[in-house]
Amino acid sequence: MRIFLMQRWSAVALLVFLTLHMVVVHYPPGHIDVDRVLERLDDPLWKAIDIAFLVAVLTHALSGAYMVITDVQRFNVYKRVFAWVGAFTGMLLFIYGTQTILAF
Amino acid sequence: MYRSTGFIAFVLRRLTGVALVIYLLLHIWVIGGINSGAETFNDRMEFLGKPFFRLLEIGLLAAVVYHGVDGIRLLIGHYFQVTEYRRGLFYAVIVVSGILVIAGGVPILLFALEG
Repeated sequence: MRIFLMQRWSAVALLVFLTLHMVVVHYPPGHIDVDRVLERLDDPLWKAIDIAFLVAVLTHALSGAYMVITDVQRFNVYKRVFAWVGAFTGMLLFIYGTQTILAF
Repeated sequence: MYRSTGFIAFVLRRLTGVALVIYLLLHIWVIGGINSGAETFNDRMEFLGKPFFRLLEIGLLAAVVYHGVDGIRLLIGHYFQVTEYRRGLFYAVIVVSGILVIAGGVPILLFALEG
């Protein structure tokens, strides 16, 4: 149930963050280079928004992957193992992603 | 069962979800190029700037849009008890997704064709 709720709330957050991300970063389509990204991320508020976006997207993706994998009967007995692997992977990706956002 | 809109929606949601998880990992790796310097970042972005990858972005857009709009359908179904409209909601998801993909995909296509 906890993972189901994580999936739901991160989905709602993503509807906001992803729409914002697409509109601000990807439209109108054009060449993306360091300078263009630097200009936006010069504002600490954008860094905070991107880190919150990272948390939502990792939560949603990893809890979704967990659900898809544990729906397979053969893997269902290892639910706890997959939950810990997901949490650990999420932490690593969060650290790497945050480091990336702060590097700009 | 395998032809019901619920089953088709379930399969499409799972397929787009798995594709998006794979894309997310690649995306984090590409953007993470900045940790090795601006040159690495720009190299990776330039590689992805090839027309083939730009066209793939339309597929990515379709997956994101469908997954997102179908997610809204799930939320509506869960919180507003509208089970009698399940089939209609599924078709609405397809129509709304189609419109959004065309609206968002045309600029990407034009940009890709610019070369």
